[in-house]
Amino acid sequence: MKLAVLILEDEPPVRDALERDLAPFRGAIRIEVAEDVDDAWAVVGEIDADDDRLALVLADHRLPGTTGVDFLVQLLADDRTRAARKVLVTGQADQADTIRAVNEAGLDRYVAKPWDPDELRAVVRNELTEHVLEHRLDPLPHLAALDAARVMVLLRDRGDR
Amino acid sequence: MSVRDDGDPRLLSVVVGTGPIAARVVEELRAEFRFVEVVEVADATAAAGLVEQPDEPQVPLVVVTSTVGSVDEAVDALDRFTVFASARVALVTDRQVHDDVAGAVDRDRLDAIVAVPWTAGALAGHARSQIARWLREHRPDDPRTDLLVTPEGRPLERPDSELLREMELEADDVTRQMLASIERVLGPRPRLRLPAGVRITHQDHPVDAVLLVLRGSVALDRTTRVGDLRLHHASTGPIVGLLSLAHQRRAYFTARTTTEVDVVHLSIEQLDRALREDPDLGAALAAVSIRALARRLRRAEQLQVEKIELNRTLDEERQRLREALTALEQARMELIAQARFATLGELAAGIAHELNNPVAALERAASYLAEDVGRVLATHPQGELADVALRSARDRPPRGTAEERQLRRALEPVTGDRDLARRLVAAGVTDPDMARQLLAADADLVGLLEAAAGIGGAVRNLELASRRITGLVSSLRSYARPDGDPLDDVDLHDGLDDTLRLTAHRLRGIEVARDYGELPRLRCHPAQLDQVWTNLLVNAADSLDGSGRITITTERPDDDHVRIRILDDGPGIDPEVLPRVFEPRFSTKQGTVRFGLGLGLGIAKRIVDDHGGRLTLASEPGRTEACVVLPIDGPPDDREARS
Repeated sequence: MKLAVLILEDEPPVRDALERDLAPFRGAIRIEVAEDVDDAWAVVGEIDADDDRLALVLADHRLPGTTGVDFLVQLLADDRTRAARKVLVTGQADQADTIRAVNEAGLDRYVAKPWDPDELRAVVRNELTEHVLEHRLDPLPHLAALDAARVMVLLRDRGDR
Repeated sequence: MSVRDDGDPRLLSVVVGTGPIAARVVEELRAEFRFVEVVEVADATAAAGLVEQPDEPQVPLVVVTSTVGSVDEAVDALDRFTVFASARVALVTDRQVHDDVAGAVDRDRLDAIVAVPWTAGALAGHARSQIARWLREHRPDDPRTDLLVTPEGRPLERPDSELLREMELEADDVTRQMLASIERVLGPRPRLRLPAGVRITHQDHPVDAVLLVLRGSVALDRTTRVGDLRLHHASTGPIVGLLSLAHQRRAYFTARTTTEVDVVHLSIEQLDRALREDPDLGAALAAVSIRALARRLRRAEQLQVEKIELNRTLDEERQRLREALTALEQARMELIAQARFATLGELAAGIAHELNNPVAALERAASYLAEDVGRVLATHPQGELADVALRSARDRPPRGTAEERQLRRALEPVTGDRDLARRLVAAGVTDPDMARQLLAADADLVGLLEAAAGIGGAVRNLELASRRITGLVSSLRSYARPDGDPLDDVDLHDGLDDTLRLTAHRLRGIEVARDYGELPRLRCHPAQLDQVWTNLLVNAADSLDGSGRITITTERPDDDHVRIRILDDGPGIDPEVLPRVFEPRFSTKQGTVRFGLGLGLGIAKRIVDDHGGRLTLASEPGRTEACVVLPIDGPPDDREARS
């Protein structure tokens, strides 16, 4: 089982850039991209079919026909996606959108465009770690994409037991 | 027995009723009139049959007796016939109380009431007066009027009583008669000749005398909180001071001569003596007083009416002021908005200019990068392959994410490894056979191709991004063009496209169809019109809320105009709100001015109006259309200035 990160972004250059900035995690985790909400659900289906686990969603706010916030809200209603960490990557969400994302979609992080690649990777690493800790997953297979220090604490505690 | 010219109609007096009362009425009227036929009928229908004769007799008088039952019903029935509708109506009754006359009184259809029994001749007297009035009103030239005189031979309608007689006299005559009576008792009275401006009574001072004004005018003034008011002038009357006798002998007004006057001064004692010794003087004095009071009362009533009218005018004025104030406030808000827009426009123009250099550098850097990488690759043993990968990645339009995954899946059987399949697709290798050959030849080559394709994709993205910035910059510059004289040869489609580009972030998810027709170039303020397009587009987009369709149609309805229609399939505008959408509205929030739909449309409409065009909005659920018609010739005031 692999942890999967889903990138939802409709503009190809931006999508490419996000995917490429997360390339160092490849190998440790599965990275999927989708250009719209329909495709995002298709990806969710594939991840599930492969017995992988959707751990993190990075969604743009402005999307064709909908908003990223709406998609994040939808995620809460599906067993396959409810547990995923949610990050909004946007340059345009106004205050009302953001408030709704936090209150209704349980938004975990907000990354403003243009992003700093190191910061983005730190956010992803951190959110994946949170996911692993929260759901008491075995961190070892995903270690390369996790926050080693925090996971070590967990491993040591577990070892003690 | 009728006394009339052949041209004059027969006159009938109709008595409605039965029994002894009606009989007595008929008897007395027949004895009185020679030229009015008196007929007796049981009810209105019978009466109508009687008068609808070929010679069309006329009816000056109807006498209704209390035997008819309901007087109102009888009069109503009669009034349905034109010939009776103008007749005078007298009621002869033996009842103590009548509760059946409200309608007749209300419609002014009851002229005289005579109680049974009446003094012999009294009814005839009433009938005479009523017929005389009818003749004077309806047949003023009828010679028979002259036959109507009192038994003493006095003309009719001259009152018998001294008081009523005096009241009918001219004011000057009464005054003269009064003075004559006074002088008979008191002997000749000296005339006081006073110039204008003399106060002959003093407000709130005791009054011990009355003044008879024989010539000239006197005004009555009163000092009040708001200053000296002239309350009577034409309505003063010939005796000054008399009414103060009813006011605890204190003058309510200051009476002031306004012309030279002749007055006669009478102390209260003298007046008292004159009244005592000449009883007729009392009637004259009363007549004069009543007349003066009546005039003052009418004046007061007139003032009351004027006051109400004035209040109403004042209310309207106040309402207009309120509206003006609101309009002014709105105009101020518009000005603020425009000033802000102008500032932003200048700022945007400046930024757009400054952006040109970095964008140019970016664009050049992208193509240099591609060239240089190409040169580097040329030195590599597999450079040719890598160069192909780079170029195809650079030139190929971006693939959809679903398509990309499909390609990867197709390669997975060849690679047996998802990541390797992904890398192959990224490297531009999508054909399974080619992938197989490549992996068999040199698996390490995948890394090189992937990198080359990555560079190609990056260069493409760079070029796309800089082209997009260039487009935005040029739109921004034309959008933020400062206002000045209108420009010639403007292509409206450019403005629409610029606006679409700049509002793209508001139009995400919305399908925009451009149905552009052939438009002539026109003279206008393009930057102002861009504001209009922005407003209409953003309104349409807001109503669609992220999904739907906007259609922009341009056409030339006639030789002199162009028409731009912006249609959306959103929920539509509330019909109650629709008539008011052009009214500027605004709200202030946290010290900043926020503009809703309304103010924007208000500004848009004004811009179109200033261009001599027309902006209309029609809306129903699923179909809201903003329509702008503009003259090709340019704004009207500008046309005048040029000609």
